[in-house]
Amino acid sequence: MKKVIIIGGGAAGMQTALRLAERGIEALILEKEAEAGGKLRGWHALFPTFTPAEEVLTELRRRIEEKKIEIRTRSEVRSLTPKSVTLADGQRLDCDAVVLASGFTLFDAAIKEEYGYGLYDNVFTSADIERMLNEGRVARADGSAPQRIALLHCVGSRDEKVCQQHCSRVCCITGVKQAMELKQRFPEADIFNFYMDIRMFGPGYEEMYREAQQKCNVHFVRGRISEAAPTLDGRIQIKAEDTLTGRPLRMSVDMLILLVGMRANDDSAALAESAGLQRSPSGFMAPRDHFLHNVESNVEGIFYAGTVTAPKNIGETLNEAIAAADAAADYLNE
Amino acid sequence: MAKYFDMLMEDVRFREGLNSCMNCGVCTGVCPAAEFYNYDPRQIVSIVQTRDEEAIERLLKGDTIWYCGECMSCRPRCPRGNTPGYVIQALRTLSQKLGFFAESEKGRQQLALKRIIGDNILRTGYCIVPRLVKPDLHPEQGTVWKWIFDHDKDIFPQFTPVYMRHGAGALRRLDEESLGEIDRIFEVSGGKAMFESIERHSDRKARELGYEEGADQRYMMDVFLNNSNEHY
Amino acid sequence: MKRNSWKEYQKQIADDRYYYARSCIRQNFFPGSEKAFIDILQNDLGRDLLDDPKHSSCTGIGYHSDIVPLETIMTVVARQFALMTEAGYENFVASCITSFGVYTEVLATWEEFPETEEKTRENLLKATGREFRKPASLAHTSDVMFHFREEIARKAKHKLVNALTGEPLHVVEHIGCHYAKIFPKSGIGGSEFPYVLAGMIESWGGQCVDYPERRHCCGFGFRNYLVQANRGYSIANSHKKLESMAPYKPDFIVANCPGCAMFLDKWQYAIAEMEGTTYGENGHGIPVLTYEEMAGLVLGYDPWALGMQMHQVDVEPLLDKMGIDYDPAAKYLGRNGKYIGKPASAVVNGCPPDTLYDMRE
Repeated sequence: MKKVIIIGGGAAGMQTALRLAERGIEALILEKEAEAGGKLRGWHALFPTFTPAEEVLTELRRRIEEKKIEIRTRSEVRSLTPKSVTLADGQRLDCDAVVLASGFTLFDAAIKEEYGYGLYDNVFTSADIERMLNEGRVARADGSAPQRIALLHCVGSRDEKVCQQHCSRVCCITGVKQAMELKQRFPEADIFNFYMDIRMFGPGYEEMYREAQQKCNVHFVRGRISEAAPTLDGRIQIKAEDTLTGRPLRMSVDMLILLVGMRANDDSAALAESAGLQRSPSGFMAPRDHFLHNVESNVEGIFYAGTVTAPKNIGETLNEAIAAADAAADYLNE
Repeated sequence: MAKYFDMLMEDVRFREGLNSCMNCGVCTGVCPAAEFYNYDPRQIVSIVQTRDEEAIERLLKGDTIWYCGECMSCRPRCPRGNTPGYVIQALRTLSQKLGFFAESEKGRQQLALKRIIGDNILRTGYCIVPRLVKPDLHPEQGTVWKWIFDHDKDIFPQFTPVYMRHGAGALRRLDEESLGEIDRIFEVSGGKAMFESIERHSDRKARELGYEEGADQRYMMDVFLNNSNEHY
Repeated sequence: MKRNSWKEYQKQIADDRYYYARSCIRQNFFPGSEKAFIDILQNDLGRDLLDDPKHSSCTGIGYHSDIVPLETIMTVVARQFALMTEAGYENFVASCITSFGVYTEVLATWEEFPETEEKTRENLLKATGREFRKPASLAHTSDVMFHFREEIARKAKHKLVNALTGEPLHVVEHIGCHYAKIFPKSGIGGSEFPYVLAGMIESWGGQCVDYPERRHCCGFGFRNYLVQANRGYSIANSHKKLESMAPYKPDFIVANCPGCAMFLDKWQYAIAEMEGTTYGENGHGIPVLTYEEMAGLVLGYDPWALGMQMHQVDVEPLLDKMGIDYDPAAKYLGRNGKYIGKPASAVVNGCPPDTLYDMRE
């Protein structure tokens, strides 16, 4: 029986393994963390349906168990070739093909120093909010309920200053989603989304944006926040331009939420070098081409699934995993 | 004749300052001038990048480009690596070369700056010297400054051995040879030509505005003092 | 105030043998500070510094008022470098933030557009017959003071501490836009959390205040102050900062840039005269210091020898807090103890507002 090693045990990796199993190919998933699930593990609810992330994850795990697919956790990969993967501890695992599904790294908001993340109480990231939603308690640092909340789009995306020129795509809809979730918890609060462009690329997204405005009275300000500073009473003063009126704007908010983008996985550079894989200028892995071979790498026998090549949402990631598994299976059956 | 955009591109600050603008407004959000004047640095960059010659000419002849304080707070923040402040510097330089500065109230003030700061540099080797900060033109300098100004020869020498004299130390008079070098630097590098352009176009405009003596002291003081209050 | 990142923005600061460039504004308004810098370097720290009588202004105020072209200021800067080279020095220190920004910008421009350096060399040779080498290190004078902050702390006669309560003094540090906003990597701590003054304050026992308008410009704005018709811009921006910092009750402000120190001092006077508003304790203004004055007080220099009588806002409340001995009667004496009268009273120094004088007239 042919064997494929899948690097990464997130949504992409699990879905790839399931499809390979359907095609009669043995799959082994290597997961760096102590538990499979990837970024979905920290997420609360998925747009645009508010489906609990846990629900998707539980079902993927159930299917993996049902098919008796092996997941090796705490297995960090040091290098790979189409025929073998070497772990950080030096152990070499042989195989017939590799699917790289190692995902992305979340942008570290502290790098955007002007927003004071990690310094000022009440500056949060979108990931913090998902965690707080999961814990069932969203609150300011002192435990009080926010009256005014600002969500800032494009933190670590579309930004030459932090070497992230690409759009992370899902932050816009995350901002809309979190605004609605917060509005539900704090109906009296004023919630502002500071954006440059609202990129509602997925099915149901535009409708959700409209609902956020129409039903939830979420405010949208076209302007990127220039800086954040602490006030004496523990709030955050923000400055931006309302570009639609062409006037500078200054306000204090109880919570500032930075919608952090996806950047190329920290491990990608080393893995690419070990296998001779090409990367895009953004640092993400570059598929062999963008149209007819978009789940294949430039090295025969190494395939890509999910956000290792570019920011994607969960639905796209799951679809692409099937395509990657099929490409790998076809390759092995040749 | 070269187009304005091409002329701007000859200025390295313009090439450094203008990449492409996506109108995010980060520059305007922290701009001290935007909070004070009816001013929006984002729109300046946005207009310039259209390469619309008529729109650029309006900028060169208008008040808008003269509001910026060149604090450069816009520079470290722009996510596209633009520097609106550099774009402004290039626009102002071109406006003065072409004489367009004289067409706006704020632009005409360049004559005062040339005569106060520019002439002082050639005279003393410094932009500012104590005798230049006259209390009647600088009421905001306060009572202590007036006391210093009135007793400069008793106060400054406590801190410098060479007040208004040759030698090493603060507030010295620069030696003639050094002043000569600065003068020649201004001559060969275009500084004098800029001064001359400011004077010439100011004089033309002064006559046009009915100052029969041209850009004399009266005209200079008028551009220095008068504010139409139409800028906010 | 919390900051995480200042250690990521470091630069080489030379340890000795400095070529010193004076500042137009500092020597005008704070001549005692320039004197103190040289005295501290030479006498307290035993360092070599050349105060060359031939050097001039960088012409930065003219450049940022747009009357001095880029090509001209580059050549003036080149002349300064030539004088440094001829004197056998290679560590350039500028006593002014505008100058420091200009030198940094010129060096970066030559790097990015080498043809501009070539043209500058040509212009300089033609105008003066001089040639130059670029400095091995470029620093602002406060960088040098920062570099020696621990050595100064060891020699300290006074700390930035309230002598009565033992509490650290609360200090607003104002950096000056051109220190690191133009080239964030050229300043210690970068543009968002500069550490150059904070490092001195913390080493000498004080505590920095973070307030919403910390990074905002003092309001100089070059043509916006230099032309009288535009001064509303200048005072409005200083006003914004003062309003923002006042609730934190700072014991004093220390400024990196001589212009900022002057404006934050003088505009407090103007605001007090116009509106009767003062921002310090007991109806007084907030004292505004240069970092040389701050270092001088720490090292035990006499405040009047530092030139602190030239401030509009009285510094005595701060001196009293720090437990510094001074002769109140000597404050306004001229050379050799000559009596030369005193400045007129002002609202910002706690005088009754019945002397209110309308600045707008």
